[in-house]
Amino acid sequence: MASSRVRAMPTTAGVGLRLPHLTDVMATRPSAAWFEIHPENFLANPHAAELLVDIARNYPVSVHSVGVSIGSASGIDRPHLARVRALVDVINPIFVSGHLAWSTHAGAYLNDLLPLPYNRETLHIVSAHVDEVQDALGREYLVENPSSYVGFNTSTMTEVEFLSELAHRTDCRLLCDVSNIYLSAHNLGFDRDRYLAELPPDVIAELHLGGFASEPENGGGEVLIDTHGSRIAELVWAFYARALKHFGPKPTLIEWDNDVPALDVVLAEAARADAVSRSTLAPGQVHALAP
Amino acid sequence: MPSLLEIQRRMRDAVIADGAAQVLLPLLAGGHDPKARLAIHRHHYQASLTRALLDKFPAVTWLAGERFAIAAAQAFARAHPPAAPCIAEYGADYPVFLASRAGAERLPYLRAFAALEWHLGQVSIAIDRPSLKIESLTSIEASELVDHQLTLQEGLRYCAAAWPIDDLVKQYLSGAAPERFTFEPAEVHLEIRGARGEFRIERLTQPEFVLRSAIAGGSTIGAAAERALDIGATFDPGQALLRLVSDGLVIATAKPETNP
Repeated sequence: MASSRVRAMPTTAGVGLRLPHLTDVMATRPSAAWFEIHPENFLANPHAAELLVDIARNYPVSVHSVGVSIGSASGIDRPHLARVRALVDVINPIFVSGHLAWSTHAGAYLNDLLPLPYNRETLHIVSAHVDEVQDALGREYLVENPSSYVGFNTSTMTEVEFLSELAHRTDCRLLCDVSNIYLSAHNLGFDRDRYLAELPPDVIAELHLGGFASEPENGGGEVLIDTHGSRIAELVWAFYARALKHFGPKPTLIEWDNDVPALDVVLAEAARADAVSRSTLAPGQVHALAP
Repeated sequence: MPSLLEIQRRMRDAVIADGAAQVLLPLLAGGHDPKARLAIHRHHYQASLTRALLDKFPAVTWLAGERFAIAAAQAFARAHPPAAPCIAEYGADYPVFLASRAGAERLPYLRAFAALEWHLGQVSIAIDRPSLKIESLTSIEASELVDHQLTLQEGLRYCAAAWPIDDLVKQYLSGAAPERFTFEPAEVHLEIRGARGEFRIERLTQPEFVLRSAIAGGSTIGAAAERALDIGATFDPGQALLRLVSDGLVIATAKPETNP
C-alpha cells in the first residue's frame, strides 16, 4: 500500500483542527506544524470541507476517523468509509487513523468509542476489518489504543498483545495515545509503564496527547474521563517523556475537542510537547522522524 | 460465552436506553462498580446527542422553552439513534418527533418552525456553485426544453406552512421580545437559500413555489410548469423560469434518458 503523493513528515507537534478554529486558521495562517481533522466534521459540511481543502494546501493534515468502527461485529460502515476515501483522495493526508473500538451496531451509530473484549474472536473480526479499510483506502491505516472505563472478563490477551498481533497480521501501524494509556491504566488498574515497555517502537507511527477530567466514584476513588476538554495533565507530560525515550521521535498531536479554547491555547500545548521532546531526546533524534 | 455480536447488541441497548445492562454485568470488569463504568458511555451518548440537537435547534428552545426542548432532545436520542457518524446529518426527523410530544399541541406551528430551522442549518453549510447563464437554456428548442430537468444550488430548500413561521424566525433572530406579537394562521410558501454561513428566507407566490419546488424535486420543466398552472391559470412559467435562472439558482440542465 502506498499513498499516491508522499508528504513530508512533521518534525514538531501538531494540533487537532476543530470547526470553531477554521476561519481563524484561514485568516491568520498560524505557525502550526500540522493539523489533524475528524472527517465526520467535514463530510456533511460542504462549507467546512471547502475551507479544509484550502488549509490542506498549506499545512500537512492527518485524517482521524471516529466513525469507521473497525470493532463492529455487524460490519464496518462501508458507505462512510467510501466518503472518507473520497476526502482522503482530495486532501492527501500524512496519516489516516482510527480507534480500536466500535461505534456502530446494526445501523445504529452510538457516537462513542466503545470497548472490545480482547480475544481470538475479536482479533479475527478486527483484523479482517483493518484489511478491508486499508484496501478501501489504498493506504495504511493507523489504529489507536482506546481510553477505557470498563474491560471484559472474557478477554484472553492484554491490549498490548492484541494491538501487537493486529499490527503483525495486517501490516497496519499504531497510533499511541499516551493520555489514553495513562487514563486506562488508572481506570482498569494495570501498570502503565509495563504497557509502554511492551509496545514495539517500530510499529508506532504517531502519538496523541489529550486532556481528561476526574470524577469521584461510588465506593471511593475516582475515574478519569477522556473529555479532550482541558490542558494535558502534568503527570501525563512526564509519562509522555518516558514514551519518547522508549519510542524515539514520533509525530505528536494535541487533541482538544470540548470546551475548545482559542487556537493559541492549543498551540501552546503543542509547543510544550516540542519542549518535552527537545529536553528528552538527543539533538540528532528530534529531527529524525522517519516516514 | 456470548459472541461479540451478542455483546455489542446488549451494549447498544444499554447505551441507548439503559436496557440489557444486567445481562452484561457478569462480563464486565473495571472499578468497584462496572455498571457505573458502563453508565459513563450511556451518559456520553445521551449528553452528546442532546447537546447536538439543542445546538442545531436553538430557535426551538427559544419558542418552546428549555425544559420542553431538553426533554424532547433526550427522548429523541433514545428513540432515534443516529444512522451514520456525521452528526451534522442527525436530526432531520426531529421536527416530526417534536410535534408528537406531549405539550406540543399548544404550539401547532412547532413542526413547521423546527423544519424551517433545520433547513436554515443545512443551507448555511452549503456552498454556491457557478450558476447557469440564461443562454444555456435559450439555446435549447422550446419543445425540447420542457423535457429537461434542472439542478439547483445545494443551499436551496422549499417549505410551505399554514403559519407565518418566517416572521417567528425573524423575531428569534432579532434577539428582542416584542411587547405584543400577534401570530395568526396564514399560509406561506418559503424559499430558503444560503451558503457559507449565511442564509435568507423569501416568500413566493404559490404558483412560483410549486414550480420551483417541483423542479428542485426532480420534475421536468414541463411537468413543473403544468403543476404551477394548475394552481394559477394566469401564471407565466416562461417568466418564472427566467427569474429562477437570473436569481443564480440553476447550476445545470440535462434531459433525462428515457427507457426505450
